Amino acid sequence: MKNRISENLTSDFRSSLVVFLVALPLCLGIAIASGAPPMAGLIAGILGGVIVGGISKSAVSVSGPAAGLTVIVLDSISSLGTFPLFLGALVAAGIIQLLLGIGKAGVLGYYFPHAVIKGMLTAIGVILVLKQIPHAVGYDKDFLGDFAFNQADQHNTFSEIYYAFIYYSPGAIPIVLTALGLILFFERPSIKKNPYLGLVPGALWAVLSSIGINALYKIIQPSWVLDNEHLVIIPTLSSWRELPTLITFPDFGLIDTSNFWIVAVTLAVIGSIETLLSIEAGDKMDPYKRTTPANQELVAQGVGNTLSGLVGGLPITAVIVRTSANIESGARTKFSTILHGLLLLALVLTIPGLLNQIPLSGLAAVLLVVGYKLAKPSIFIKEFKKGWDQFLPFLVTVTSILLTDLLIGIGIGLVVGLFFVIKTNFHRSVLVTERNGNYLVKLQKDVSFLNKAPLIKELNQIPDGSNVVLNASMARFIDHDIQEVLNDFIASAESKNITLLIEGYSNYLNES
Amino acid sequence: MNPYEKLLLQNKAWSEEKLQMDKEFFNRLAHQQKPKFLWIGCSDSRVPANEITGTDPGEVFVHRNIANMVVHTDLNLLSVLQYAVEVLEVDHIIVCGHYGCGGIEAALGNKSFGLINKWLRNIKEVYKVYQAEIDGISNHQDRVNRLVELNVLEQCQDLIKTSIIQKSWQDRKSPEIHGWVYGLNNGLVNELTTIKPDIESIHPIFRYSEGQL
Repeated sequence: MKNRISENLTSDFRSSLVVFLVALPLCLGIAIASGAPPMAGLIAGILGGVIVGGISKSAVSVSGPAAGLTVIVLDSISSLGTFPLFLGALVAAGIIQLLLGIGKAGVLGYYFPHAVIKGMLTAIGVILVLKQIPHAVGYDKDFLGDFAFNQADQHNTFSEIYYAFIYYSPGAIPIVLTALGLILFFERPSIKKNPYLGLVPGALWAVLSSIGINALYKIIQPSWVLDNEHLVIIPTLSSWRELPTLITFPDFGLIDTSNFWIVAVTLAVIGSIETLLSIEAGDKMDPYKRTTPANQELVAQGVGNTLSGLVGGLPITAVIVRTSANIESGARTKFSTILHGLLLLALVLTIPGLLNQIPLSGLAAVLLVVGYKLAKPSIFIKEFKKGWDQFLPFLVTVTSILLTDLLIGIGIGLVVGLFFVIKTNFHRSVLVTERNGNYLVKLQKDVSFLNKAPLIKELNQIPDGSNVVLNASMARFIDHDIQEVLNDFIASAESKNITLLIEGYSNYLNES
Repeated sequence: MNPYEKLLLQNKAWSEEKLQMDKEFFNRLAHQQKPKFLWIGCSDSRVPANEITGTDPGEVFVHRNIANMVVHTDLNLLSVLQYAVEVLEVDHIIVCGHYGCGGIEAALGNKSFGLINKWLRNIKEVYKVYQAEIDGISNHQDRVNRLVELNVLEQCQDLIKTSIIQKSWQDRKSPEIHGWVYGLNNGLVNELTTIKPDIESIHPIFRYSEGQL
């Protein structure tokens, strides 16, 4: 990896712009979908970039408010009562997360199989595309809705798309098509390499063009103008003195209730799982293949969340969509995410007016491309080629996440993945060979209760009257369940007229 | 790291692995060996006796030379044979060839290799006995493989011609002789013949009479 600071900085600046553009509507939308003030999303975005980005050792990961937590936040705010009371629990959650990081709980992230992580990414890509389609055609009733299939407003992902095509805004179509065209044009390798054209990300041109086209409508086609809910909405300040109004302080009034701690622990644990998964996924996408230390990440997240809670922000996690946009637009170091945070801060404070002119359909184009890259058909083909024991958990994860929500879907995918792990593990740990009517049952390595069912099946298939060699000399550890199975087999050998030769097993056999 | 250093490193790792499996592994072996098999195989690096039979150290007494030959003037093999049969009292001797054997193939040609010519001559003598059958095979590879098989059978016969074997058969009705061929392409052993202790298996001219051994 080239260490030329100026070159890295240029790349990072470029990518930070793209991430900023992607983050802006997401921060706002997630806040609204969580039942929190829009500013809370922006605060989380700023802190995620600057604080978490600063402390974390990840080079490419972007943190901010997470779509995957919207339902939890929504429920928590209503169960605790008010937003400030929720903030109190968030501060506690941040501290818990900090302690998890110090206590080296980060290893848990490594227990998630590759297929499940890949499935998570792909599902998020699909959801992103599906959720953005309404916005692309100008149906902006429900920004981002929420990440779950069944949304809070009684619609689901597909019914929203259906409604979108009925209630679309004609003005949105040329905007999204132009924006898409520009993004795809600037994606071409020949353009990216061009010293001048490659400088500014296509997403920026897309956004500028969408502002421009919308402004053009005012002159040539007023009925097509997009306004109000079709545009980004950020609170504006008429003076610097109003700055404190943007901040909300936490209320620790419920700190002695169990409800408070349930929310705090839930936020800490689920946020940590999401972060660890996103980190792993991000590391997989990193062209320089760097790894992020998990425990330090939890510490960074903990600090970020504590601060977010203190000033009125949403819970922060490492977020896949923005991370993927970050990597895709050429980020090299963590300056990209830090810069994106600063950009959020700067632009939100100084030019909210301009930002409020961005039509959501323009942003939809940016998100559509990001989503497509996560979920393109070639990914499915690649996973399929790895064999069913990878493809099935992957597919199950994708489908489950699409039909339920992020964490339930991952849970289901995990169970399927685990099943395959157990299955392949058996095939490697016990080898049954037959030649000339003689059988060799060999324990290749340590065997645990997970192998019990297949072992019983194999032993039962040995015909009566056979000669069997049972060799356990390679197994250092045979747990009680397996010992029982073997001992039962040994005991039944005489009645089955099976001649049994036992090798390497008396060490573990306490009863004769 | 140069290759032999890597070997030494791997040796140490292997030793530790064995001890982790079984603390007494080396102690048990150091005091005595009681293998049940004598293996007469080819020196080819792809046919390691223990590995292909899944046996541990201490289970197989091994002699390997080019084309797994039993030459009645070879002090090397005869020492191994006598020790295995009379001291270790093995119950089985396995003569194991392998398809695609380089030694056999060389013997079928007319090149001169130097010293090794003298060893290959023994194989050429085997060819001469079965010339009609071998020449009748059109494909070169199949010719080589058939000679591999016929050679194994011949070497088994050469074994039982020795006084060592005949005496052992007389005294303890053991060992059995097995002729095998190993396939490099699938790792499987092909059984060709089993010779049980019986003087009738030996061509009369090579037998030693009762009381002579």
